[in-house]
Amino acid sequence: MNKIYSILAVLLTSVCLTACTADPEASRLYRQEAPLEAEIIVPEPLEAGKTEAIKVMLTQDGSQVEDPEFIHMEIWKRDGTVQYGMTEAHNDGQGQYSLSKKFENEGLYYVQVHAKYHDSLIMPTKQFIVGELSESDKQALQSDVPAAGGSTGKHH
Amino acid sequence: MLYKTIWRWHFYAGLIVAPFLIILAITGGIYLFQPQIEQRLYQEYYEVSPAEEKISADEQIAAVKENYPGALVTSYRPGEAETRSSEIGISVNDESFTIFMDPYTGNEIARLNSDDRIMDKIEKIHGELMMGTMGDRIVELVTCWAVVLIVSGLYLWFPRKNKGLAGIIYLRLKNGKQIFRRDLHAVPAFWVTGGMLFLIMTGLPWSGFWGTNFQNLMTNAGMGYPPSVWTGSAPQSITKTKEIADVPWAAENLDVPKSTVQDYKALSIDNLMHVASLEGIDPGYTIYIPQTKEGVYTLSAFPAKAQHEVTMHIDQYSGAVLADYRYDNYHFMGKVIAWGITLHKGTQFGVINQLIGLLVCAGIVLTAVSGYYIWLKRKPSKKLGAPSAPSVKKMKGFLFVLILLGLLFPLVGLSLLVIWLLDWLLIQRIPAMKQFFNA
Repeated sequence: MNKIYSILAVLLTSVCLTACTADPEASRLYRQEAPLEAEIIVPEPLEAGKTEAIKVMLTQDGSQVEDPEFIHMEIWKRDGTVQYGMTEAHNDGQGQYSLSKKFENEGLYYVQVHAKYHDSLIMPTKQFIVGELSESDKQALQSDVPAAGGSTGKHH
Repeated sequence: MLYKTIWRWHFYAGLIVAPFLIILAITGGIYLFQPQIEQRLYQEYYEVSPAEEKISADEQIAAVKENYPGALVTSYRPGEAETRSSEIGISVNDESFTIFMDPYTGNEIARLNSDDRIMDKIEKIHGELMMGTMGDRIVELVTCWAVVLIVSGLYLWFPRKNKGLAGIIYLRLKNGKQIFRRDLHAVPAFWVTGGMLFLIMTGLPWSGFWGTNFQNLMTNAGMGYPPSVWTGSAPQSITKTKEIADVPWAAENLDVPKSTVQDYKALSIDNLMHVASLEGIDPGYTIYIPQTKEGVYTLSAFPAKAQHEVTMHIDQYSGAVLADYRYDNYHFMGKVIAWGITLHKGTQFGVINQLIGLLVCAGIVLTAVSGYYIWLKRKPSKKLGAPSAPSVKKMKGFLFVLILLGLLFPLVGLSLLVIWLLDWLLIQRIPAMKQFFNA
């Protein structure tokens, strides 16, 4: 009888102890995505009145993407006074794309890249400064401060 | 001999487990109708009258941020129909609220504190008896022991003498009170057994101990849900943003540190919804908004039917889909669990599904109550009235079944050890207890 008890006890503790945790690598066993990545390079500092090129490096899984389905760029000024609509970016080769613009006015700008390759669509936006910020730009930036702390919500 | 042993186990297990089963069956029976009940309760919050122009999700969120300074916006749920309000989840001082917004006027319709959701309370009782982790383990233990009740009960019910189906599948009304009482327990119990076992097996995967381990095992082995749908973590955003200091600039300090300004912006919710529609996801999903720099937007929908489930993780900045886990991407056991859950909740097949669930719940209550009734009817006044039986240790077959159940459900195993210890240390040594428990 004691044998059965001890076997039971050993098995139980081993089950409790080996109670496994989530494996961070488990996602490899399921459907994988191949997300497109864009690194937007804006010259720093950017001065008003000069023609400057905003560059984008497109990669997927670490390798350069040379033939995306499309890559468009869109630039606008925060206060709405400047708006360059979607423009096709120039293919500089080796996964680099660029758009040259002359920025006449100082202030806070945004550039958004729209690109698609092999079913992966991305539309990152980068914020940048030309010359100096205006007071209203500063205020806008302040009200937009991301909330600090907190944890990601979980469903169920 | 074996019959008596099993009866004894069935008796004790039932005595302890039945009250919990009644609670689970009643709360479960109510929760089955959660969609209809909430539709009724929150009708005014849900309904909006459509107009020409819609206010964008980002503007609705901005309005909420303005109305609740300091609140963290945690989720956004676009209405799935023209006449449905949108919902914005916020958290203020550790309390969470749902703000119902009219997407046509941009006005707040109502604010609902999550603690005030009645159906959530019912679910809490059903899942953890409102006792947190402790309650979760009790519910799990009780449901596992219910399996012991089913197995032992079926053995006791199993017809031994070939005398037709009376007392097996229908009640014997004219054979005296005692037989009628026995049938009142055994016959409905038989009818409800399949449904009850189904509810137990489909409910277990979402229990805290057994369920979490089972889900981890399945997910890690590549057989279940993809990670993050139930267990495991979501990927992180891959866009490389700048390292920023933890402290945001103080409100009065207008000197903006330029170096942190030039960086990626979080994707707007409207852009995100555009991605969702391109990916073929219909509204009715909830967007969970990341609260850290590395976090992702998680788009999640767990609608009535398992086949329509979606969990999608999207890079917070670029909008790239990092993981797309829909029902079709679940592996076999994941699909089985998903179906189990929607059937358990009664949503998979609508009203028919709900009614069958309700019937099983009613049967469980009837079985538990009639079980008590037949015990009280024959209980001696000074004793518990347990059937006496030889020690289970002499019943190798039954002992084997118990050990097997104990291994399959470690909580049952643990409770078996406790029972044996109690029996060995107390009941067998104290004459009064030995007599009371008929040991």
